[in-house]
Amino acid sequence: MSRHVDDVGKWLVWIAIAATFVFLVAPIVVAIMMSFDARGYLGRFPPPDYSIQWYVNFFSDTFYLTGLRTSIVLAVIATAVSTVAGVSAAIVLDRYDFPGKQAVETLFLSPLIIPAVVIGFALLLFFALIGVFQGFPRLLAGHIVITFPYTVRTTLAGLVGIRKTLTEAAMVLGANERQAFWDVTFPLARTGMVAGAVFAFAFSMDDVAVSLFLTSPDTYTLPVAMVSMMRTNFDLTIAAASVVLMLFTVGLIVLLDWIVGLERLIGGGVYRS
Amino acid sequence: MTVLQLDSVTKRFGDFTAVDRASFSLDKGKILSLLGPSGCGKTTTLRMIAGFEAPDEGRVLIAGQDTRGKRPYERNVGLLFQDYALFPHMTVEQNVAYGLKRRGYERTAMQGRIQEMLDLVKLSEFAARRPGQLSGGQQQRVALARSLATGPEVVLLDEPLSALDAKLRQELRIELKQILDAVGATTIVVTHDQEEAMSLGDTVIVMSRGRIMQEGPPTEIYKDPRTKFVAEFIGRSNWFSGDLVESAGDGVSRFETSEGLSLLVPAPNGVLAGAEGYEVCVRPERIHAGDRSAETAGTEVVNRLAGTVRDIAHLGADIHLVIELEGGRLIVASEQYLGQALEQEGEAVELTFRPMDCIIVPAGS
Repeated sequence: MSRHVDDVGKWLVWIAIAATFVFLVAPIVVAIMMSFDARGYLGRFPPPDYSIQWYVNFFSDTFYLTGLRTSIVLAVIATAVSTVAGVSAAIVLDRYDFPGKQAVETLFLSPLIIPAVVIGFALLLFFALIGVFQGFPRLLAGHIVITFPYTVRTTLAGLVGIRKTLTEAAMVLGANERQAFWDVTFPLARTGMVAGAVFAFAFSMDDVAVSLFLTSPDTYTLPVAMVSMMRTNFDLTIAAASVVLMLFTVGLIVLLDWIVGLERLIGGGVYRS
Repeated sequence: MTVLQLDSVTKRFGDFTAVDRASFSLDKGKILSLLGPSGCGKTTTLRMIAGFEAPDEGRVLIAGQDTRGKRPYERNVGLLFQDYALFPHMTVEQNVAYGLKRRGYERTAMQGRIQEMLDLVKLSEFAARRPGQLSGGQQQRVALARSLATGPEVVLLDEPLSALDAKLRQELRIELKQILDAVGATTIVVTHDQEEAMSLGDTVIVMSRGRIMQEGPPTEIYKDPRTKFVAEFIGRSNWFSGDLVESAGDGVSRFETSEGLSLLVPAPNGVLAGAEGYEVCVRPERIHAGDRSAETAGTEVVNRLAGTVRDIAHLGADIHLVIELEGGRLIVASEQYLGQALEQEGEAVELTFRPMDCIIVPAGS
């Protein structure tokens, strides 16, 4: 009986893998190949010939480049702010007990549950109410709101695994609270913090739903630029833009894997034995 | 020289009194065992000495200095945690070096001290390993080396052997004792294991519900427990409840048990005198089970009880006998196995024990 269950499980895994490939990997491969299409119009797949004309187009189009620059600046600042804020919040949540702690934790993670469109719209109304009409501060606030839960959560996950006796051991050996944090807690929680920062950057670069509401005519992100281009003059420059955007995310994942992998290596594989 | 002194120390958590007016002192180079069941306040006592908890009342003095308001890093105390609390991201050497670094040792002095400590616990060749790559016993020794490295005034060991399996525990207990003696460490061992407490400690303190029940050398604690709690917590015992009926002279009293047995027991004196009622216990190893027909030699005053062997358990070096007395009461007796012929189940035997083999304690204590 249990053998059959195992077999069914195995098949389900294979189906899931196949579905992932068909619906996720294949379209990406198509998009990447089309971005190198040598034809001047949107033709059938596969492209008969390859060139980098769409990339040339992309990197000479000020509309896209403005979006790309805004996206990068926004992602860097939003990541920095939400990492510092998220790490601090996680440390407080992990270390101290106070009334309403559970509620605060839920509040911090709530942007994960509330649809991004709702957040975007609500922020738009809010900024109109307090009289902020410039695009950049609005976008920055929006991006901090949506990335903050990730930095809190991954840091918290890292901190929870660290036994309290480690801090106490450091203190009894002569370290004050601050030294104990930097010598013991921080190095052990670093992986979680880095993961949070990488997620924050990726989600900031990627966001459309919130950004769409908060852009102004002269300040918009790359994904927003792509959406509006798709409506006006649809050509394969969008494919090139997609690949550029994807490269950022892929690069980050590789970076994360490299850092986490390195940490494991240093830790000898047993961090919380 | 007194290194550590607790002066009527009390700690409360809300309505719960974790430690109730505990007082004791510890001389340089001595080992003290704090023994008691979980929740008896021994760990809280330890944490107050280390500075993780502040006493609500009373004082903790280390080397004559009142520790009030001093943080853990402002005291020179070594602490071996139950889970060892080794820093997983540091090597063995870095773990041992940590306290030295934080206490401001010079680089050259530090190197020498690290080497000395690693030699002491025989882990020099593991200096570059990480804790995750060591066995439980090795981790424990690293933790010990780390806590001894800074030459603390007092070393606190929190259930030092409880995380290890039984066989390893015995080996490491001997090793632990040797290391502590070698450095002459003034030590407190907190444990719920009576064997650990008795074998490591020069002095044993038995705690129950936040109170110190008795303090004394291991032999005294075993031989002369002053309360039922201490007698029950340490070693096995056969208990009799009943009443003291008369003095039988020469420091011996007659005790009438509730089963109607008449026992000769030591007359309660000193701290035991004047209690409302008493209970009596006899350790299994003090009871001799012999052939009933055999004539007991000598004129010594002894207690004699007739019974029938109901069960024999051969536990290696010891034999445990369960004997049913005539009224149905079961008694456990034990003897060393030295190759003698064993009693048989159903055999009639006579149990003999002297009045001084009985322990008398106030009832319900």
